[in-house]
This record gives sequence, C-alpha cells and structure tokens, in this order.
Amino acid sequence: MATRTLLEAIREALHLELGADERVILLGEDIGREGGVFRVTEGLQACYGRARVMDAPIAEAGIVGMAVGMAIAGLRPVPEIQFMGFLYPAFDQIISHVARMRNRSRGRFTCPLVVRVPYGGGIHPPEHHSESTEAMLVHTPGLQVVVPATPYDAKGLLISAIRSPDPVIFLEPKRIYRAVRQDIPEECYTVPIGEARLVREGTDVTVIAWGSMMHTVLQAAESLDASGISPEILDLRTLSPMDVPAIIASVEKTGRAVVVHEAARTAGLGAEIVAQINEKALLSLEAPVERVSGFDTVFPLPQLEKYYLPTPEMIEAAVHRVLAF
Amino acid sequence: MPKKSMRDALREALHEEMERDDSIIVLGEDVITHGGPYAVTRGIDEKFPGRIRQTPISEAGIVGTALGAALCGMRPVAEVMYVDFATCAMDEVVNQMAKVRYMFGGQTDVPVVLRLPSGSARLLAAQHSQCLEAWFLHVPGLQVVVPSTAYDAKGLLKTALRGKDPVLFMEYKRLYTNECEVPDEDYAIPFGQADVKREGRDVTIVATGPMVPKALEAADLLSPEGIEVEVVDTRTLVPFDKATVFASVGKTNRAIVTDEEVKRGGTSAEIASLIAEECFDALDAPVKRVAAAEVPMPFSPELEKLVVPKTEHLVAAARELVG
Repeated sequence: MATRTLLEAIREALHLELGADERVILLGEDIGREGGVFRVTEGLQACYGRARVMDAPIAEAGIVGMAVGMAIAGLRPVPEIQFMGFLYPAFDQIISHVARMRNRSRGRFTCPLVVRVPYGGGIHPPEHHSESTEAMLVHTPGLQVVVPATPYDAKGLLISAIRSPDPVIFLEPKRIYRAVRQDIPEECYTVPIGEARLVREGTDVTVIAWGSMMHTVLQAAESLDASGISPEILDLRTLSPMDVPAIIASVEKTGRAVVVHEAARTAGLGAEIVAQINEKALLSLEAPVERVSGFDTVFPLPQLEKYYLPTPEMIEAAVHRVLAF
Repeated sequence: MPKKSMRDALREALHEEMERDDSIIVLGEDVITHGGPYAVTRGIDEKFPGRIRQTPISEAGIVGTALGAALCGMRPVAEVMYVDFATCAMDEVVNQMAKVRYMFGGQTDVPVVLRLPSGSARLLAAQHSQCLEAWFLHVPGLQVVVPSTAYDAKGLLKTALRGKDPVLFMEYKRLYTNECEVPDEDYAIPFGQADVKREGRDVTIVATGPMVPKALEAADLLSPEGIEVEVVDTRTLVPFDKATVFASVGKTNRAIVTDEEVKRGGTSAEIASLIAEECFDALDAPVKRVAAAEVPMPFSPELEKLVVPKTEHLVAAARELVG
C-alpha cells in the first residue's frame, strides 16, 4: 500500500497500463513535455517516449478524431481534453463517431478509447474552465461515463476504462485532484464500471452524489451526525451505465432522497435520477426527492464561484426539508 | 381561416418579419438553391435580395458568423440543416452564443435564431434523426422552442425574431407537412406559455413537438373507454410554463411526460422530476415517461419503428396509470 492523491492515482494507472500494454497511447495538449495542465501525465513521456505520450496541437476535434482512428485500428488511445469546456469543439467526434462506431459498423469496429476530462468548478479559473456537463454525455447512447471521487476508485476505474472494449469518458474531479489522499495498492487492480459505492450506511435519508461533490456531502454528513440524523451515502462512480438498482435499494430502505450535483439544475443528471426514483420507488417515498445543484446560470467568474457551487449547508438544509416533509 | 402546413407557416413568418425589420438576415447551407433541406427559406432570395446567404458546409462557421452579425446589430436566422450537425457548432452555441451576454456584462443583445430541423423522418438514421433539446435545456442562456402545429410555429417564430436573446427553434421534420388553420395576419405567441390542446380529467399527457399529435390521437382512442386525457403542449421548454403543467396534474392526479428524445437524461426526465417535486401530494401514481429507446437511431425501417415512441405507448401508459 502507498499513500496517493487522486491525481497520483490516475498517473499510476496510466503508468501501469502504458507498461503493460504497448497499444496504450496518450495524446493531448501539453501532456508530454509539460506533463499536462494539471501535471497528471508528468514523467510519462520521459519514460515511454514521444511516440506513446504525444503532445497535440490545440485542436480538440483533432485530438479526439485521431484517437478514433487509432482505436478502430487496434490501439488503445487515452486522449486528454484540458478542461470540460473544451470538449465542445470535439462534440461531433464524440457524439457522431466515438459513441456510434460499434453501432454504425454493425459491431465490426469497436472504439476502445478513454477521453480523460478534468471537470467541474472550484479552482477560480476564467470562463469555459468549470463545466460539469456530464448530463449531455449520459444522454448519448454508446458512451460510458465514469467519475471517481477517491484515489482508490480513480486508479481502479481508469484501468477498467482502458481495458474496456468500448469508449469511456473519464471525468476527473480537478478540484480534489490533490485534496484527497488514500492508501491504495501499488499494483494493478480494477474497479468495475457500472457499480455504485455505498460510502456509508444510514437509516434516515439517501444522499446521492459523485465526483468532487462527494466530499461536500461527507462534510454535510458530519454535521448531520451531530444533530442525530443518519444519512446513507451513495457514490455513483459510474454515471452511464447507472447503477439504478443500488439507488432504488437504498431509497426503499430510507424512504427519502437528496441528489447532489454541481451542474446546472435544469436537465442535469439529477432530473434523470429523480425520475428513476419516482418511477421505481414512489410508494416508498415519504417526501419528494430534493435536488441540490448549481444554478441555471452561466458558471460565474471566480469571485462568485462560492455562491454557485453546492455547499454542505445547502445539502444539510435539503436533508432537513425531506425529513420535515 | 386558410389552412397551411407548418413549412408554409414558418416561411410566412420569415417573410412578414423580414418585411417589417431590415436587420433580419438568413444564412445556412443550400438556403437559396433548395430553400434549405425542407424548403422553408424558398423565395426569400427573390423577395429580399442580398439578405440571404448560402454558406459553405461548416456549421461552426454558420453559427459563429450569425453570432458576430447579432453582436453587430443584425438579427440573423441561421439554419443548421439537421440538429445533429449542431454537434459541429457546439463550441459556438454553448461557449459563445449562450454566454456572451453574461461574459460581457450585458453590453450587447444576442438576437440569434437557430432553426434546427429535428427528429426522425423516414430512414435518416443515426446522424439525421436526433432530438437534442435536453442538451440545450441544460445550457443556461439559451431559449428552446418546440412548436407542434403550423399555428404555433408561425406565432413562436415571430416572438423569436423580436427577442433579444438566442433562441434554438426546433422544427420537427415529421410535422412540416401537417396542416392547420393559420391566420394570414400578424400574431405572436409569447414564450413560456404552454397550451392545453385538449381538456380531460383522468390523466395529463405533457407532450412536446411530434408527440403532441400522437397524444391527441391517444386521447381520441381512450375517450370511448371512459379515460379522458388532458393534453398539454409545452411549446417552449426554456422558459418553461410550470404553472399550466402543475395545474393540469393537480386536476388529473396522473401524468405522462412524452417527447421523442432518448429517454435517459432527456427532457422528459426534467419535466417528470418537476412534477414529482412540486405535485407530490397530488400524484396518485408515479409519473410515466414515454420517449425513445436508448440507442442511436437505426437505419432499418423496422428498427426505426421500434425506437420512436408511438401512440400505442401513450395509450398503454394511460391505461396503466388509470387502472
């Protein structure tokens, strides 16, 4: 075991897979010589050379498009998009090609690539650098969407993603890249895609979250514990395919639910989760499911960021509302 | 009152507004030669020479040009041949068009209308059949309009052309030839007002675009069984008329939400969630969603039929809810 930050765990997973499988190729803006905008890929080019850790021009459509070609030709590319707001120039590649290659070619080609995307707000950047638009990707058939919240899951899920025969969008919670540490195995291991993690058992309310919001939820849980409320906490880990049975099992037990995400509320992933709970567990519900989310505004500039992102207090208030209903 | 198709009603709205307002210009692929893929812009070049531009095949260029023109005081109506190709212009739509008012502190209006032919037609397969409303609902700063009749199309397009902010105007291809009575004279339908297309007491169907005629068909089929369906047409998704939807569900206590989008993460999820949140005590049964299967649109005609939601799905859902 060794202590790793989430960022180090991701780097370790890349290191191990580059070493184990020569088909694995990294590409992206500044990922080689500079080690990436967040230094996730630091040292990897020195170790594996420029042919396997490739610096790309600033052209997201080109990066993902090239990865599509590599993937259908038998390689295992892992492109990095520096910020989620820059995913849009590559949307046509992702939606029309990555997500559909297997379907369009009647299974003759698969598209085994992993697009790594640091996502979310909280690091005081300028505009376009704080997006959290996982809902758009989950709405697209053919993509797997993964969001780890811990170093252990980050490493195990990334290794699973790289070994998957189908494309994965791997969202990295950049706000907690270096804020979370955990003892994790140094060797290879996998965490299966599609399984939620029961972070802690509770009896009064189910709180559902993913990525960096997990840690805001855990802070809220401490205050809730102090006031005698026992929340059950579920980390979805994979948003597509979504572990709906785990959500329903928990809500059937607690009778109440709060969904937390930092993306804008309207048509965010919370809507899908609330709809699923209402369809499958309405008779277990003691109160309407609450959504705690970002606002339906453009993600604000740094000085307003703290008012946009859900806080532990907002989550606690939502829990109190569903309990008081 | 004369009957007109949705295609003709849209064309009429464009002509009338271009006559009224010199700043309106039209651009897009093949918009002169063929009047666009669905002939909506036919005749504009003859009547308003110089105010319609046929562009290269570059959606990012079309939307980017339209945005620039809007910031400089024009009112561009840009056609993206199929909403599917908006994926090529996502950076312009999401990072620029939707955010520009906010980023520059409201120094300028952004009156762009993007016309986006949407949905399944016949055998147009995975890259010409999509419904992408949910994406744009999730992007703050965009208004999203989905007319279901020729009458609504004309009135809503007029409002879009008189606004100050970007509008994504979803035109469902299957509805282009549907006819209804449309006045020759000028009228506008405000955004944010849903329309109760049929009253009923037993179950509410909240429908969008192409699912509105199917909901009305379902209502006709269910009425003889004693199930009276109320059909609420959302008309605009952003802004969204919660009051009309909630009032209807408050009356019927049962709701089906339907659109042609992929169900997972689609608009129906948002509307079903709003109902479950705000009408919890009124609901006698879980809200049902009737939407498309979670696959890319297949090319095979038989498979296409399996993916697109149908009248009988609505009928079955209503029977389950009432039974």
